[in-house]
Amino acid sequence: MTHRSYFCGSPDHGVSRRGFLGTAAAASAFAADMTHLDVLQTPLFASEVKKQQKHVILLWLAGGASQLETWDPKPGAPTGGPFRAINTSVPGVAISELMPKLAARMEHTAIVRSLNTRNADHGGGALMMETGRAVDQGIPCPDLGAMIAHELGRADSPVPDYVSMYSSTEGRRKGGSGFLGSRYAPMFLAEQTIPENIRRLEAVSDIDHQQRQELRTFLAKRFANGRMDNTVASQNMAYERVRGLMTSEKLFDVEQEPAEMRAKYGPTQFGEQCLIARRLVEAGVPFVKVARAWWDSHGQNFETHLELVTELDHVMSTLIDDLKDRGLLEHTLIITLGEFGRTPGINASLGRDHFASAWSSSLSGCGIKGGAVWGKTDEDGHKVIDGEVKAGDLFATVFEALGVDHKREFHIGARPIPITDFGCGPIKSILA
Amino acid sequence: MLNQLKTAKDLGTPGIFLSLTRIPLTERLIVGSSDAKLYEYDFAAEKTEALAYGEGHASYVTGVAWTTGGIVSGAYDGKVIWWDMTTRQAIRTVDAHAKWVRRVHASPDGKIVVSIADDMLAKVWDAESGKLLHTLGGHEPITPHHYPSMLYAAAFSPDGKLLATGDKVGHIVIWNVDTGAKVTTVESPGMYTWDPKQRRHSIGGIRSLAFSRDGKTLAVGGVGNIGNIDHLDGPARVELFDWQAAKSLKVLEDNKFKGLVEQLWFSPNDQWLVTSGGDNNGFVTIYDVATQQIPHQEKGHQHIHAMVGSESGNKIFTAHHGRLIAWSLTTDSATA
Repeated sequence: MTHRSYFCGSPDHGVSRRGFLGTAAAASAFAADMTHLDVLQTPLFASEVKKQQKHVILLWLAGGASQLETWDPKPGAPTGGPFRAINTSVPGVAISELMPKLAARMEHTAIVRSLNTRNADHGGGALMMETGRAVDQGIPCPDLGAMIAHELGRADSPVPDYVSMYSSTEGRRKGGSGFLGSRYAPMFLAEQTIPENIRRLEAVSDIDHQQRQELRTFLAKRFANGRMDNTVASQNMAYERVRGLMTSEKLFDVEQEPAEMRAKYGPTQFGEQCLIARRLVEAGVPFVKVARAWWDSHGQNFETHLELVTELDHVMSTLIDDLKDRGLLEHTLIITLGEFGRTPGINASLGRDHFASAWSSSLSGCGIKGGAVWGKTDEDGHKVIDGEVKAGDLFATVFEALGVDHKREFHIGARPIPITDFGCGPIKSILA
Repeated sequence: MLNQLKTAKDLGTPGIFLSLTRIPLTERLIVGSSDAKLYEYDFAAEKTEALAYGEGHASYVTGVAWTTGGIVSGAYDGKVIWWDMTTRQAIRTVDAHAKWVRRVHASPDGKIVVSIADDMLAKVWDAESGKLLHTLGGHEPITPHHYPSMLYAAAFSPDGKLLATGDKVGHIVIWNVDTGAKVTTVESPGMYTWDPKQRRHSIGGIRSLAFSRDGKTLAVGGVGNIGNIDHLDGPARVELFDWQAAKSLKVLEDNKFKGLVEQLWFSPNDQWLVTSGGDNNGFVTIYDVATQQIPHQEKGHQHIHAMVGSESGNKIFTAHHGRLIAWSLTTDSATA
């Protein structure tokens, strides 16, 4: 078994086995009613829960955001477009003027400017950037969320391991757990922000529901007594999990947040979904994907990016601040990623088209050396001239940032399948 | 009867030409470019060459106007710059707006100039002294869907006494130029497409405005409802208003040549309304104002960003994505 570290590397974040077990017990108690989020306000409990769990919030920029209007501006170049570059809180690092709030928080974020993924088709590009694999493995492969759920999810967790929100209909993809199986498939939220079918049936009263649970627990314990059977344990765990999910409804309800906090995230759907993502992470969900569609600006690229990057800048900055204030940022990795970037060339509709040869991603928070920039594109942004990164390299970096050995393997029967695509490795210089 | 619209002169250019003005009674054109520069072209010269203006702007030059105080330009850098037409050097630079300047227009007599910008302000300037006369608000900075709005279009009335400004969500304000007072408002919401389900962002907006020569009709240009807002794949849309009654008279939508109506120009006798713009391709479409039919339209080389007409009405000039074109318009009476 490959060693897996759950910590960001700082000795401050180490936790003893006793402490871990204690926290696990507390987490089980916590499972009894996830609606009482204020339990996280108990300092000791909150701190232990936070220490043992890492999380990812993937901001999926569906349709392909422009690297030139975000992380890799080229002001003055014929391809550069009209936006200026602005300095950030990290000397020597400049990003698009559309992101002044993120620029002020650059010390939390590393930029990868040299993705060359060679697939500028929505479907193919999305599949590659979801799974981190350029080569067809011959079997359905899990996406990043499923792999993280597998690696960071806790068997006894009462909350989902992987929640995916994709509300717009264009380019909507559910993602999937592939060969890892349905245990790691996302809880997928499309039209609604609160999961359907997790509520107690109206016909069953709260007291009746509680009594049924107590009876089931009593019988299960009596049956399990003296039986060292994994199947029995698994069955009980599944029941606990369903029970946890049923009581997690309020996690998805932004109305539970103070008005002041909701105002910080803003009134847009993306803002609300990122607030939900924070609530989920705070409650222990390892992986949350928030898809913001649709960035496919073949016409009016600059107008579209004025809208969407302005929103991204505000919401992501708020998310960073909120996680930081709660002591969660060092345990939570925020990723911005899509299926590809956009062409440096500006078409006659003042649009940019699909482009996968030299584009950008960002990583903020857990395990990341904030302010680091990896890779370089040429002066017009047409090609990578230094530090080319493939999808698998980015994924390996994500794994290592979370303390997951990027060399570890899954096994499908006797067949090993590496968690990281063949020939890929982490970008060490942007890791903390 | 209009019987011909044809290219009289066609010049390939390296950049994206975003704005255009003409020095009165000449064919000297000054264009604003995506390379942050202005260039002059004399279309009456045997050999038309680009004469570059000096340094000044730092981003797309989206507005340029001839005035009695010189050429005035505006750009996405928020600056408004006055230029000497002889030396082609900047003579006055003003940090006029906090956001992108979308257009600069001069009053018909060239004595007043207005700059409009995404700070949602129209600033009215004395063209000769550069004095700021009025700062006009009246447009919401945020759309109903919580995103930044834009102030795209403006036009003076033929007598120079009124100014119309139009924004992204289809709100139009008519102003008294002398006093800076709001005269009335007109709404053209069909110019704005918000996609709440598939792509969850917006496209469109009022991109052009023009008063008829008699001052009674206000033409509003943009694009109609777009299904797939990844592209400008919507009907080129013009809405005509009796602006005094705030009453929509007619909506003209063309699905043959699609995209934004970037420019509107009434011929001197109000007989034709010339429109231009496009999606990836450009178009020049001419409406007969009386019948509201299209007697003539031509595909243009790529998107047309700017257009000016001649005093006589027999020529128009268009600035494209990579091209500058002079068109001749001839009528039966002219060819008889």
